[in-house]
Amino acid sequence: MSFVRLENVSVEFPIYQGSSRSLKKLLLATSTRGNLARDARDRVNVRALSGVSFELRSGDRFALVGANGAGKTTLLKVLAGVFEPTDGRIISHGHVTSLLDTSVGLNVDATGYENIILRGMYMGMHPREMAQRAPAIAEFTELGDYLEMPVRTYSAGMMVRLAFAISTCVAPDILVMDEWVSAGDARFLAKAQRRIEEFVRHSSILVLASHSLDLIEKWCSRGILLHHGQMLRIGPIEEVIASYRRLTEELTAMEEAQAAAE
Amino acid sequence: MAAWDSTAKDRLAPKGRWTRRGGHAIAPTVALFPGSDRGKRRDQELGAVGQVTQFEAISEPGTDRIFDFPAPSTRVRCAVADICDGFGQSWLWMRLAHQDLRLRYRGSILGPFWQTITTVILISSMGVIYAKLFRVELHDYLPMLTVGLISWVFVSGMITEGCGTFDSERNIIQQVKLPLSLHAYRLVYRNVLVLAHSFVIIPIVLIIFPHPIAWIRLLEIVPGMLLLMINGVAVSILLGMVCARFRDVPPIVASIVQVVFFLTPIFWPPTALGKNAWWALLNPLYAAIDVVRAPLLGIPTSPHSWTIMAIVTGINCVAAFMFFSRFRARIAFWV
Repeated sequence: MSFVRLENVSVEFPIYQGSSRSLKKLLLATSTRGNLARDARDRVNVRALSGVSFELRSGDRFALVGANGAGKTTLLKVLAGVFEPTDGRIISHGHVTSLLDTSVGLNVDATGYENIILRGMYMGMHPREMAQRAPAIAEFTELGDYLEMPVRTYSAGMMVRLAFAISTCVAPDILVMDEWVSAGDARFLAKAQRRIEEFVRHSSILVLASHSLDLIEKWCSRGILLHHGQMLRIGPIEEVIASYRRLTEELTAMEEAQAAAE
Repeated sequence: MAAWDSTAKDRLAPKGRWTRRGGHAIAPTVALFPGSDRGKRRDQELGAVGQVTQFEAISEPGTDRIFDFPAPSTRVRCAVADICDGFGQSWLWMRLAHQDLRLRYRGSILGPFWQTITTVILISSMGVIYAKLFRVELHDYLPMLTVGLISWVFVSGMITEGCGTFDSERNIIQQVKLPLSLHAYRLVYRNVLVLAHSFVIIPIVLIIFPHPIAWIRLLEIVPGMLLLMINGVAVSILLGMVCARFRDVPPIVASIVQVVFFLTPIFWPPTALGKNAWWALLNPLYAAIDVVRAPLLGIPTSPHSWTIMAIVTGINCVAAFMFFSRFRARIAFWV
């Protein structure tokens, strides 16, 4: 039984631009008043998420939909436990496996097999355990002899296969995925979908962020529409996608109207 | 379907509970285009958000990760949990440190022994020249230089690498939830491994230039090394955070370390300063080297060095902990 509950979660972080990253600027700014003081406070606070609340339970396949910069990745990172909310509360139960980036724990100079062990370690699995699971992983990736080669030589799609196969070699309680998974080819995606469906039947939770509405429609049952870090809509996936389409249309219409007015 | 291996899960499950204080009310509805008909329609449509996210009561025993920010008491508890969990996953940081070295020296035949060879070359060339310069016997000078230099490489390695404790692991920090202290343990352990490779020089030098070895004194190296490692963890957390936040600190640290090498009695004896020797003794890095060097050379470690080391360790640990508990959650944003 796994669940995740977010209550009014907000994430706000300062963006350190050149000058405020500099120690000299900060020291000078605190010792001398005037123009320099503004330099140190020059940082821009970004409210990447604001007041996001929802609850996920076993068997949920949840999609995050929204335009670029809507806060999807930030929300995924919050769910993965990488970012801690600056406000609000998260309650979660179950082990989270995050697939935010294919490169996690993949060392491009090491071979596919070595990377299976390495990435497994970051997932908290002992190398001995991973060695036992390696054949099953190798089979899923269908990479064959490529697994003996350095990952540097892999294509993006091959890396996705490897990363996905390793991360899902044991059923995660909560699987958090970013859109890169769509770099795989159609056959791989079908295979991945079958695997995820199996997890979800065994009471796992899937959270997927993607721009590919087709993929989301196929994989997810519920979803949330984010816009500028706020929840616009939450509900069955068809409705969320419909809202997203409408939002995109409206934004485009508004831009056109503005352009026409000028 | 294979179930999650329970031991793996237990290892990773964050321990500790935090409770909520204070409520936050943020209206989830957003009026994008207020006023317009479209806007009204959207308002009605989006008004549903609040209802969909009604929460049901969840049985408390099941919860295992609750974050509630910002609350100072929570921060301290999170920091303590992080430091303890990180240490508990020793198998992970040890393996990762081994892996670091393997990858660092991939393709080279001698691997980490390159560091050993560099040290040997440095010691033999410096040893001959400086023994003449200081007009001391090579027999006395070389063991001192060898042990001093090897301890210096260990200590300064932790300081310079400490600048990248978090920054060089940004890939992992941004993607996987792991105790952040784990990266500090990994760094210190990696440096211990490097030290172990250079350490083989010491018995060789001591055989070529035999000195009476005081076996009891040799035991003093245990608390000495322990203190160095504790300081290594504290410094790499502290510097790692400062350097992740302020990008011009690493070059500053690098140049300071370079200068301090010449200011610290490593290749010259503190007695060479005559009556000014006391100010070399105030150098905490001299104390750090002395607590390892003296036992190996069979000289009694000066109580002075122990005192300095105790004070420095205290300051480092308190500063690192205060910084870590205050800004731990920020590290993911900094890197």
